[in-house]
Amino acid sequence: MAKEGLGIEITELRLGLPGDNNRERSVCGSNKKRAFSETMSSSSLATKDENSVVSSANILANKVEDDSSPAVKSQVVGWPPVCSYRRKKKNEEATKAIGYVKVSMDGVPYLRKIDLGSSHGYTHLATVLEDLFGCLGLGVVLKKGEMCEYVIIYEDKDGDWMLVGDVPWQMFRESCKRLRIVKRSCGTGFGLQRDSSFE
Amino acid sequence: MGLPLPSKVLEHILSFIDSNEDRNSVSLVCKSWFDTERRTRKRVFVGNCYSVSPVTVSRRFPKMRSLTLKGKPHFADYNLVPDGWGGYAWPWIEVLAKKNPLLEEIRLKRMVITDECLEMIAASFKEFKALVLVSCEGFTTDGIAAIAATCRNLEVLELRECIVEDLGGDWLSYFPESLTSLVSLDFSCLDSEVKLSDLERLVSRSPNLKSLKLNRAVTLEGLESLLRRAPQLTDLGTGSFSAEFEPEMFSKLSKAFAECKQLKSLSGLWDVIPEYLPALYSVCPGLTSLNLSYATVRMPDLVGILRRCWKLQKLWVMDLIEDKGLQTVAMRCKDLRELRVFPSEPDLDDVSVALTEEGLVTVSRSCRKLESILYFCVQFTNAALVTISRYRPNIKCFRLCVIEPFAPDHITREPLDEGFRAIVEGCKDLRRLSVSGLLTDKAFEYIGKHAKKVRMLSIAFAGDSDLMLHHLLSGCEGLKKLEIRDCPFGDSALLEHAAKLETMRSLWMSSCFVSFGACKVLSQKLPKLNVEVIDEMYPPESRPENSPVERIYIYRTLAGPRLDMPEFVWTIHKNPEVGVSNLAIK
Repeated sequence: MAKEGLGIEITELRLGLPGDNNRERSVCGSNKKRAFSETMSSSSLATKDENSVVSSANILANKVEDDSSPAVKSQVVGWPPVCSYRRKKKNEEATKAIGYVKVSMDGVPYLRKIDLGSSHGYTHLATVLEDLFGCLGLGVVLKKGEMCEYVIIYEDKDGDWMLVGDVPWQMFRESCKRLRIVKRSCGTGFGLQRDSSFE
Repeated sequence: MGLPLPSKVLEHILSFIDSNEDRNSVSLVCKSWFDTERRTRKRVFVGNCYSVSPVTVSRRFPKMRSLTLKGKPHFADYNLVPDGWGGYAWPWIEVLAKKNPLLEEIRLKRMVITDECLEMIAASFKEFKALVLVSCEGFTTDGIAAIAATCRNLEVLELRECIVEDLGGDWLSYFPESLTSLVSLDFSCLDSEVKLSDLERLVSRSPNLKSLKLNRAVTLEGLESLLRRAPQLTDLGTGSFSAEFEPEMFSKLSKAFAECKQLKSLSGLWDVIPEYLPALYSVCPGLTSLNLSYATVRMPDLVGILRRCWKLQKLWVMDLIEDKGLQTVAMRCKDLRELRVFPSEPDLDDVSVALTEEGLVTVSRSCRKLESILYFCVQFTNAALVTISRYRPNIKCFRLCVIEPFAPDHITREPLDEGFRAIVEGCKDLRRLSVSGLLTDKAFEYIGKHAKKVRMLSIAFAGDSDLMLHHLLSGCEGLKKLEIRDCPFGDSALLEHAAKLETMRSLWMSSCFVSFGACKVLSQKLPKLNVEVIDEMYPPESRPENSPVERIYIYRTLAGPRLDMPEFVWTIHKNPEVGVSNLAIK
């Protein structure tokens, strides 16, 4: 491996044992990345701690041999260098954005998606759901839930399953992550608790 | 030999000198000039709160009316500095409260300030006028309430990008009815809703109010009402610019904006809905500063605004502006001085936005006054960098972030060495530089050779060896702040150029290969530096001398070792018995 030109190695203070050449680097990009990982693992700093800055180099070195592996990139701490305040605001925005939510229905093998953002109220929502799953009198469900075969529930931001229609429309829209249309017979006391049968 | 200048005359002359850099030079002339200067300095700036003790500063500048302090290193913005590292305001406030009770202004950046601190400020400085906290943390809205309630002559209260524990919107209601002196209020970083009626009354009784930056919780209706009460505003940060589109609201809003004939700066625009953007058209021609970096507006909705802002000097925007939008900027914003383009996807997911290097090239070509650039982009080319440098030799601040680490020129697949060479060769007044993309040691040879005036340099995922650091430390004469992460250099260049570090404010290195042993040597050699080893995983003494440490922060200081270090920060002073004697054996 060629050493760089300036002959700096003569003046180099060696802190390792004589003959220890761990520090050699090559100019080529991919070798550099391997060099990262060699030194990192030799100091046994392999760690899964997300917050460890060292592990970010480790991850890059070990996994990004070809530049285009998207899964790995998002694990590098503090990169791209967007300040944490800005990141926080972007995340808030992402969660606030009212968009499409998935809807599933008992007995129906496929999932559908509806755009809550463009819906203006519970009645409208019921109409949309009816159209999606065939006329099943869902509108009635929302008006007088007691008498119907189906109940509509939704999962909120905290992961709890709630009955659709209990809270003001705006509040529901903002906290709804997904919807389920379930047969009433599946369980009555689902209320505010997460019921494992829905998972 | 002439007669010495009477100090009264010198004082009078100095009253015309505001720049602290000039005043620092003045104070080096001779003892009497030092003395006269220090007695007359009103605005004091301390770039690193640990570089000097509060007592020293307080004693030197008895007439101090304004203090600016900076705490954590810049890379703290990117979560590279662990919580609890330091940067506490308390020791400063404690001293100033006792010794400089006439203090009027405190400006802090990246510091930790508690409610207790804020209460002390409110209680101790009778003439207190201005509090500006930038990227600070450690306090709650209760602390803000204390300031609001007690500072009778308050003019400025600005919380910019702070992490505040938000206990509710009551703090605003603590401004007494008798407070009519407000000039600037910025609570954009707070989450809770404030009582609109209290805000309306505050605004109505503040005839000098020039700058108002609302938080997201303020609605469009609220905004409209506030604008009607403060048409004299020059700086406005809106709240949420979103609601179901209603023509009546739109026309009210347009009218309110039309009355704001002095508006120069506009920001906020959270959640903006394109249908409401035309309400801003009337103020666009007067704007010199526009911050759309939180507005998720896409093209082509942005064009309407951009083409009307022909006096714009500063534009902050997201990459949603795309190359097309930047073409509009190039055509219409001929006065542009500063451009910042932020990524809409802050994580390294696939960025699917049509923003390329061409956008920046277009603006650089047409906007003759452009001198400050921050640009996030998926990819770049040497050719683009060369073009930019040719058209804009006047660039003073160039920060390019190629989002993918190690990304080469996407056409030639070469490193970006030649491109950055053009930048540093061509832009002779460059003061601040951030590099990215695939870079070899050569790039740093060019930077060392040409970037003589660069004061601050940021580097990540670059270089091949110690040569890169050697070039920088031996070449960049004006270098004051160097921050490096994830670069493969070790100890040798650092130790060879150790003396350089005393001419700089600070050096940050993380995920590089500098060893604990080298840190000890540096500490021993240069007692005027604090060499901090920041390692959350392992106490550095528990590992071999030659193993690399996680992070190192080196800064010059007159104050000696600091006493508030958490356990994951090591300096030689912490363990003086762990000397460097075992190095001699090797």
